[in-house]
Amino acid sequence: MANEEVKSKLKAFFMSDLGVDGDVLNYDTPLFGEEIGLDSVDSLEIISFVDSNFGVSMTGVGKEPFQSIDTIADFIESHK
Amino acid sequence: MTSNDCRCVVTGLGVICAVGNNVEETWSNALNSVSGIHKTTSVDTKNCYADLAAEVNCDSLDEIDSPEEKDRASKLCIKAANEALKDANLENFNDDQRVAVIIGSCVGGVLSVEHYHQNGRNANDIPKMPIASIASQVAETCGAGGIVTNVANACAAGTISIALACDLIRSGRADVVIAGGADSFASVPYSGFLSLHALDENGCSPFNHCNGITLGEGAGIVVVESYEHAQKRGAKQYCEVLGSGVTSDAHHITAPREDGLCLTEAMNRAVNNSGIKKSDIGYLNAHGTGTGKNDNAEINAFGKFFAEENPTISVSSTKVMTGHCLGAAGAIEAVFSIKALTTNTVLPTLHYTAEDSEALKAKVGQMDFVQNTPKAKELNCVMSNNVAFGGTNASIIFSKQPGEVVKHEAKNLVVTGIGIVSPLGNSKQAYLDAVKNDAKPASASVQSTITNDDYKELGIKMAFYRKLDNLGQLQTVSGVRALQDANFTVTEDNAKEVGIIVGTSEGGLGSTYDFEELIAEQGNANGSAFKFPHTVYNAAGGYLSICSGIKGYGVTITTGPVSGLDSIGYSMSVINNGPEKAMMATGTDENLPIITEFAQKLNVAADKVVAPFDNADGFVVGDGSVSLMIEEEGYAKSRGAKVYCRALGYGNGRKNVKFGKVSGSGEALDFAINDALKDAGLTAADIDAVCGFADGFKTIDNIEKESLARVFGDRLAALPVFEVKERVGEGRAASATLAAAEAALLLSGEMESDSAYFMANDGSVSKKNVAAAGLNKVLVIAFAAGGSYSAVVFGK
Repeated sequence: MANEEVKSKLKAFFMSDLGVDGDVLNYDTPLFGEEIGLDSVDSLEIISFVDSNFGVSMTGVGKEPFQSIDTIADFIESHK
Repeated sequence: MTSNDCRCVVTGLGVICAVGNNVEETWSNALNSVSGIHKTTSVDTKNCYADLAAEVNCDSLDEIDSPEEKDRASKLCIKAANEALKDANLENFNDDQRVAVIIGSCVGGVLSVEHYHQNGRNANDIPKMPIASIASQVAETCGAGGIVTNVANACAAGTISIALACDLIRSGRADVVIAGGADSFASVPYSGFLSLHALDENGCSPFNHCNGITLGEGAGIVVVESYEHAQKRGAKQYCEVLGSGVTSDAHHITAPREDGLCLTEAMNRAVNNSGIKKSDIGYLNAHGTGTGKNDNAEINAFGKFFAEENPTISVSSTKVMTGHCLGAAGAIEAVFSIKALTTNTVLPTLHYTAEDSEALKAKVGQMDFVQNTPKAKELNCVMSNNVAFGGTNASIIFSKQPGEVVKHEAKNLVVTGIGIVSPLGNSKQAYLDAVKNDAKPASASVQSTITNDDYKELGIKMAFYRKLDNLGQLQTVSGVRALQDANFTVTEDNAKEVGIIVGTSEGGLGSTYDFEELIAEQGNANGSAFKFPHTVYNAAGGYLSICSGIKGYGVTITTGPVSGLDSIGYSMSVINNGPEKAMMATGTDENLPIITEFAQKLNVAADKVVAPFDNADGFVVGDGSVSLMIEEEGYAKSRGAKVYCRALGYGNGRKNVKFGKVSGSGEALDFAINDALKDAGLTAADIDAVCGFADGFKTIDNIEKESLARVFGDRLAALPVFEVKERVGEGRAASATLAAAEAALLLSGEMESDSAYFMANDGSVSKKNVAAAGLNKVLVIAFAAGGSYSAVVFGK
């Protein structure tokens, strides 16, 4: 799956499952910043989504890969 | 010393949980450090990382009347209630209005939701689903005819029920209250806590390894009785129930505040309301779930609270024995606390090694966290704490002595803010416009719709509103609208002086069904951490607290539509008796497609638009959220608040019929009206108008019509009766609060007129427009399935 497709899928997931407004969500937008406001409950959903859709485990990987759609996609790319 | 009319005593105990099917067995096993946690046999554990639970093993749960009409949660509760009543030497009360039932629950009839979904969508399952069925069926079993309600504050519900029981007795509204909590173990909570990674695969280990909880199930019942009533009948008295404290974190929907600030405040309130010293408390039964976040927050709170005044307090969590029984937890732990107090025995937290003990000591210092085996200790007062999703904190004190509980005088109360979300629009102005235009429901099933424009107008950020489910959206918008309408700014200084009571008929039932659909399709291992919090009925109130910053009292009650008026009555009581100066009283219910499906299956949904007194076989299914800001008059005046009207009185009545039915209970509406009039110091002759609950369904409308005819006699023909449901449909608790909002708008003159119904002596009904100008006192009424009614009187 191309990196762009992964990002697009992630964005669609944030909009449909985590209620994020797509207009303010770019691939480099900080997910845990004030505007989007993701928290620990949301990260559990991200882990579950990435695992079941891309076969990549993000359990216990620390905060860094969760920064933005870009960083999650990079993590998926490098752990496939 | 507490005056005799303020003393509340415990006269009966009942319990059922994984370590015993009655108090004697449970206590004996607890003294022997028995844990009820085992590998679960009742839910599918495929691909699930944890498979332990503390389940009840009892083959006599069906030995009650009509067991097929009751969910397991009700059966557990009735078993415990029967034991407690027998222990208290009390029998069937024959609809005695002085006997109340208050039951806490988190997931209610969730097994019936599961059964409905997986077994052919049978209508018989529907009345067993809502939390409201539990207290109603307990009342039906024992003939309690007073206030019958459920507290739905998730894991703190059991404690709050007992606190509310004492409030009722101290305000003179009951002599005996059957209080407690009940919940059953089921796939929805199991999968939900799995999705949150909040289950400990090795079994919970509170204040120790702290890797998560283990779910349990059961029920606990405490018969709370006024001292004078207990003395008069020569009842055995276990102990006194002194003060309590309930606060809101205003922080996060599932996680507690790390600093334990609002838990500390709840403990402070409990001690202050009891008139005791912190050093009088010998044992604290902690919430102690076994999650790191909870246990660390509690240790922080205990350290700060007891500090130098009581540094060696004994503390334990009994959840290693019972599992976390959610809405039953506080009630079961109350039974443990009372047994601890009366036998001078502190129960231990189990499963500590010598190494664990050393590690604990480093965390808790001098505090005496009792481990592995019970400890003999002379006890005078015991505190029991519970916290919950939605940010609720609750603390209560049981004592051998009467303490110094202060009796409060009734205060002058005023309505200062109104927020309306309805299918007609999401503001008070939208409702006023709809009345002016004589708007009617667009179809036989109507919904409120919140849009991003609402959030934008109210300044609510996406980072917050993205988390809300439908019920939370309705609640947040109506609550914030009421605050803004009241021109009330919540600040760090006043946050603790403001509280919220949410009344709801079905609460999170729609979200629970949604979650059940998800896990039925994808398995218990694939629940949603994002969606699970919405299944608890108090999530909507919790979100309002987080959004607004309100940190005082925060309780969600669920009894059916009547809850939307009870939220007003209980708010009046909270301001009269507590530190709160202002309360947000709200009624909220949603109309998801599944809710309309339930109404249709029960044959109570109309197939076309109907109006009140249409003599139809069903009603228009509606929804909404309506919030009223109620304040102590002096407080409102000091901040220059606009006043809509005065809140003068509140009353209720009950005549037991089967939960899901109302026929045959109508005379209890007379009791409710007369009770409210008495509370307001008025008679029926003083009432200028009624805001009713008629919705077009003849069974409901006739109850209203016949009761009003009995109460008002010949005056009824000239008495205007306003019916809000002609515009918004049957919105259950939301419509009940809307009826109160309509009264406030009429009394203030902000609504200049509305069409009213007039009921002639021959039973015929006519309509004409009535000007608000001549109205000085308005009666508001509401009903609930099972036979509960409430009334509120507002005046200029």
